[in-house]
Amino acid sequence: MLIYDIWFLFIYMFFLGNLIFVSKNKHLFVVLLSLEFIVLSIFFFFFVLLIFIDYDMYMLMVFLVFSVCEGSLGLSILVSMIRSYGNDYFQSFSML
Amino acid sequence: MFFFILTNNNSNKMFFLFILFFSTLISISSNSWFGCWIGLEINLLSFIPLISNSKNLLSVETSLKYFLTQSLASINFLFMILIKFSLLKNFDMNNIISIMMNSSLLMKMGSAPFHFWFPNIVEGLSWMNNFMLMTWQKISPMILLSYYFNKNFLIFMIIMNLIIGSLGGLNQTSLRKLLAFSSINNLGWMIFSIMISENLWLFYFLIYSMMIFMMISLFFLMNMYFMNQLFINNMNFFIKMNLLINFLSLGGLPPFMGFMPKWIIINFLLINKFYFLTFIFMMTSLIIIYYYIRIIYSSFMFNYFKMKWMNLFMKNNMFLINLSSFISISSMILSTFIFM
Repeated sequence: MLIYDIWFLFIYMFFLGNLIFVSKNKHLFVVLLSLEFIVLSIFFFFFVLLIFIDYDMYMLMVFLVFSVCEGSLGLSILVSMIRSYGNDYFQSFSML
Repeated sequence: MFFFILTNNNSNKMFFLFILFFSTLISISSNSWFGCWIGLEINLLSFIPLISNSKNLLSVETSLKYFLTQSLASINFLFMILIKFSLLKNFDMNNIISIMMNSSLLMKMGSAPFHFWFPNIVEGLSWMNNFMLMTWQKISPMILLSYYFNKNFLIFMIIMNLIIGSLGGLNQTSLRKLLAFSSINNLGWMIFSIMISENLWLFYFLIYSMMIFMMISLFFLMNMYFMNQLFINNMNFFIKMNLLINFLSLGGLPPFMGFMPKWIIINFLLINKFYFLTFIFMMTSLIIIYYYIRIIYSSFMFNYFKMKWMNLFMKNNMFLINLSSFISISSMILSTFIFM
């Protein structure tokens, strides 16, 4: 059925976001961006799923609030890293 | 531990600790998978301020690694929840979706094969934060695991946990990493006890957290982070005996408290003819006891140093130390008197 082809898009987006998350990057910020990309793909997926249940989008809003909290937590950790190390390169991790 | 937080003018840490406790309760008692995800997110949000401390580089790196692994795991968990919801697989537990959900929960717990962050992060945290990480943070992923697990996948993961937990601790000199690998090994036992019965998991978990609390509080009071510090201090007899008893109890030797939950699990295994799994449980426990005894023998039993200076001042805590020794020795025997 043609309507179920959209799920391949969600799985593809989710998989690509994960792939960038685990790849070797120079900056930490790329990792946080890939996390936000995964959140975006889940948002889209959630939206399409909730259309099938009479347009009750409240759960989507709760999901959005929590993922924004998580994104801002990641940014604050990035800020604390820049304050201590001076950059956000992965090469500066040497203590553990 | 509350005492420690109260005495250091850390009222914001008390706030986050409170939210941490509630996040686990939210996650366990929700009636939808989405509520479970919300609990896990709040758990992450409230644990990071507890461990990040802007005064040194080590805690920045620690909180970053913790955040990256845990956020990836919880976002994967949510995606798998949505796929499970869309494909309507609510009761069929032996498929690939349950494998993916269990994998993300295992990553949250620090179980093998997703354990690589765990010894690193444990190395960067103080003892009290380690205690929270090793005991409280494991409650909600394990209970969520018990709601939808794939039996074959989990048995394979248990075997990996046991082997990695026992072999990984052989070359460690840091006490925190030693307890981290011991924690990975005990995770194997705990995941198997989930598959038997949730009551048994609760029993194992309570005894394990009590043993870890006794060990961690002893190391915290002596301010010891590495194995060579065990030999340099001039400990009196009761502290040495307490350390010996706690290490052997954690390894699961018979007269001590740590043997009881392992005994019940082995009983179940043998009655139901899981002979290969019993063999792996036994052999990995032996390796763990080997490296505990290796620490204890050389520091306490044969040819130990008695330093003239570096005296430990522990007179205020001797009552608690003796009480914890007493509990570790006698609780298994005293528990048989309950039913008389």
